[in-house]
Amino acid sequence: MATVPGPLIWEIVKKNNSFLVKQFGNSTAMVQFSKEPNNLYNVNSYKHSGLANKKSVTIQGGGKDLSVVLATTKTKKQNKPGSLHHRSAMKKEFRKMAKVVINQVTDNYYRPDLTRAALARLSAVHRSLKVAKSGAKKRNRQAVKVGK
Amino acid sequence: MAAVRPLVTVQPLEGHMATNALAGVPRPDVLKAPMRPDVVRFVHASLSRNSRQPCAVSKHAGHQTSAESCGVPAAPSPVSPASPAAEHTAPARVPSATCAAAAVCSPPTKTWRRWHRHVNVNIRRYATASALAASAVPSLVLARGHRIESVPEFLLVVSDTAEGVEKTASAIKILKQVGAVPDAEKARDSQGIRPGMRKMRNRGYIFRMGPLIVYGNIPMSSALNLVELASGDHIDRLVILTYHPYTLKLYGENPKLNSMFGTFDKSSEKKKGYVLLRSKMHNADLSMIINSDEVQLVVQPIKKDVKRHTLKRNPLKNLYTLLKLNPYLDKKRTQLPKEEAAAIKAAGPARYKTMISDSECLVFSISFTFIESTSDDHRMQVEPTESQCPVHVRRITLTTA
Repeated sequence: MATVPGPLIWEIVKKNNSFLVKQFGNSTAMVQFSKEPNNLYNVNSYKHSGLANKKSVTIQGGGKDLSVVLATTKTKKQNKPGSLHHRSAMKKEFRKMAKVVINQVTDNYYRPDLTRAALARLSAVHRSLKVAKSGAKKRNRQAVKVGK
Repeated sequence: MAAVRPLVTVQPLEGHMATNALAGVPRPDVLKAPMRPDVVRFVHASLSRNSRQPCAVSKHAGHQTSAESCGVPAAPSPVSPASPAAEHTAPARVPSATCAAAAVCSPPTKTWRRWHRHVNVNIRRYATASALAASAVPSLVLARGHRIESVPEFLLVVSDTAEGVEKTASAIKILKQVGAVPDAEKARDSQGIRPGMRKMRNRGYIFRMGPLIVYGNIPMSSALNLVELASGDHIDRLVILTYHPYTLKLYGENPKLNSMFGTFDKSSEKKKGYVLLRSKMHNADLSMIINSDEVQLVVQPIKKDVKRHTLKRNPLKNLYTLLKLNPYLDKKRTQLPKEEAAAIKAAGPARYKTMISDSECLVFSISFTFIESTSDDHRMQVEPTESQCPVHVRRITLTTA
């Protein structure tokens, strides 16, 4: 009893939260994004939301070396943000990393509906890390890094 | 990313006496109160008006210009128009141009404007309970923007050694142990200059709000007031509670919050006659409900084929629709050459009878007897003669036109 369910949280959070980014006008032309770390497409929707889902996947660049961090949230530890994420840093070539991601997300039946999103994000992060080698620009609105 | 656990562990701090038992504290029922951001928003807006001090424009504003002090005789003075005195007195008591315009467009603000708002006690308590409940949900606190990655557990309860803290440095140490430092740092780093004219009224700087620390005698504590809990009228502020020994002694296993707000079953001890409001849905997890066995057993299978609205086509013009309505036409056109058609016609009713016996379908023949019509209005009455007719046929009245 008394689990605060995802759909309830989503109703509270979907219109207004600190990660929400709205651009380009007020109506149909507007795009809405969401900057949470565990939102793979950065899209503000229930399926992708890192806030409203018990299981979510994060893929981020990690640190100075060219590693990619794959993090998943543990379902049993929802109340303990300190130990919520299961992190693993990957420093392999791209294909191996892709295989790791698929194993975690799909083959484990963790969030198979997020497969394409995870792979897409992996590509994007990987490419950005290559750029970072030559000196990336510091931008505003960066996502919060997951875990320690 | 949100679950509620029945037990909350108390975070130990440095210097905490090992003798004190740090058992888990059962969650007070307030934290299961329904989360109603709309209620909280309403109450917060009203309550935050209550600490306003009246202010207004001076009632002499705009009226103390030199144009006022010309001095005015009530009647026009008997001076020739050419003289300078006449020009001087021409406009009587003219306010300055801006003042006149202002008086017409916007009347000056008054101190007796309604500054404060009364809020019903019940709805105030509902909002506080709601805000407390929301502060126990990590997703919501994250969504509000607090940095909680290193917080070990929600609800954040800290042992009461924290209350003995005297120096800021030790306070910071406590925050570190509890994982609340990133949030406090974010607040400190966010100091910025307030945009707008408020600067001139000594509200020059703005900060983000960090964690709210609640300690001591909870009923007396003003920290659990809504304006703190829901600052910026967003629910879910990061709240750190201390585990007050007072709690254990007096109320047994019920923590202080339980006594203050009551549980769902018991009414509150501190607030007279107040019982926690219940949510509309006891179990709000829609997907779980929909996918549960009880519901799935009763539910109809998914209708996969979609019936779309078909365009109506005119059978008189469109051959296919004509044939769909009258399939015999096809046969008529394709299967019966002229000779056969003639042969059928020649065979007459006998052919009909052979058709019936061939096809083994049941046809009832009902013969009618003609009954004399009594009235003059061209009506004919018939009655079925054959009594073995299984279908009940009533007397029929046929009208001739």
